[in-house]
Amino acid sequence: MKKIKLKVITPERLVLEEMVDQVSLPTTMGEITILPDHIPLIANLASGDIVAVSAGEHVPMAVAGGFIEVKKDENGITTVAVLADFAEHVSELSEEAIEKAKARAAELQKKMENKEDVDFEHFAAELERSLNRVRVADKWRTRKYRK
Amino acid sequence: MTGTNEIKRRIKSVGNIRKITKAMQMVAAAKMKRAVASALSSRLYAEYSWDILSSISRNVENIEHPLFVERETKRVLLVVITSNRGLCGAYNTQVSKQAVRFLESIRRKFPSAEFEILTAGKKGERLFRRMSEKIAASFLNLPDNVSLRDILPISRLIAEEYEKGTYDRAIVAYTDFVSSLVQRPLIKQIAPISKRELKEFLRTIGEEKNKIELQNGNGDQEEKGRPFAPKIDYLFEGEQNALIGSLAEKLLRMQIYQMFLESRASEQSARMLAMKNATEAAGEMIEDFSLVFNKARQAGITREISEISAGMVSVNNLQG
Repeated sequence: MKKIKLKVITPERLVLEEMVDQVSLPTTMGEITILPDHIPLIANLASGDIVAVSAGEHVPMAVAGGFIEVKKDENGITTVAVLADFAEHVSELSEEAIEKAKARAAELQKKMENKEDVDFEHFAAELERSLNRVRVADKWRTRKYRK
Repeated sequence: MTGTNEIKRRIKSVGNIRKITKAMQMVAAAKMKRAVASALSSRLYAEYSWDILSSISRNVENIEHPLFVERETKRVLLVVITSNRGLCGAYNTQVSKQAVRFLESIRRKFPSAEFEILTAGKKGERLFRRMSEKIAASFLNLPDNVSLRDILPISRLIAEEYEKGTYDRAIVAYTDFVSSLVQRPLIKQIAPISKRELKEFLRTIGEEKNKIELQNGNGDQEEKGRPFAPKIDYLFEGEQNALIGSLAEKLLRMQIYQMFLESRASEQSARMLAMKNATEAAGEMIEDFSLVFNKARQAGITREISEISAGMVSVNNLQG
């Protein structure tokens, strides 16, 4: 069966590089699922979770911002490159990290209310990232997934 | 005994210098570790994003975004990334030399074009001011461990001025970190993004002065692969030009950021090496001086003994 090569890259590290069967991604226009032999595509990434399916198992990751490129490499393998501003495996989102993210979100929210900061954009991005972590972690808390 | 005192003083002063260079070496080593780690970790992202950009510029026709449109070269912006402080070996000299050489050859190619320099770092600023080049902007207060936010003003300035048409080309001279022993000064065009044009453009200049090292990424592979590489017909989700625009700006920023990271990693490695050499040289100097000092001391003692024994002989002779 054909597979796709999925790469999730952030400025900090390579989060994942793996052959998978399919992958669902949150784009700014809605969620899309990429299967093998998908046509070349470029899209903006929204915040949410990327779910790769490999051997019937779900591999979820929390992402926020960035974009994706789908194309075939020289060997004819469909390659999905996710260049995310931020990405983490759901298994890395421990309870403790989530609590921290929640606290940080609350703190940021307060800060944003307090003043019209020049750094509004930065705060907004960070807030969105923190909230997204909490959302994704909550969603996957009760489900089964591959670590 | 006056000779030995002089030497003693020199040994002491060289010893003090060695202490300082040793300390600076340690500091540079610690900073290097961090700088190298951050440069390496974002390298993959930067390389990938550059690939995507050039792939878009190759495969998508009639892109309206100015970053992809080649214009007649009338005004060129040269960005030179150097350090604020010296004592880092040939680091600044190398990148400055490369930039100056590049400037000369591009002047010859476009005699009517105007050139402006954007410097990041005191050393580059000083050099180009001395050469009385026109300095468009000078960024001095960048920390040692640069973050993306520190780069924002620079990338915004470049992108905005380029889009407005103040400049038709933006080129960066920076230092690529190869290893802690090897750093390569490089010239890279960041705007417009048009790889094929760029390569030819750089090649003609490279022929004039083949010493200029040019960044062509994985150009060789691509050269071979191109005849077979099918045209990729990208589908864009949403409005194509808006998407490409936001993409290009983001990736441009990332490129500039990566160049700074590479330069910083190179700077710290160069400094560490320079300080290590200085420390070793000081050690050798102390050894040499100690040898001279011991010889002088021994000579003094011998002289005194011979004086005393000569005195004794003459006294004995008198008595005899």
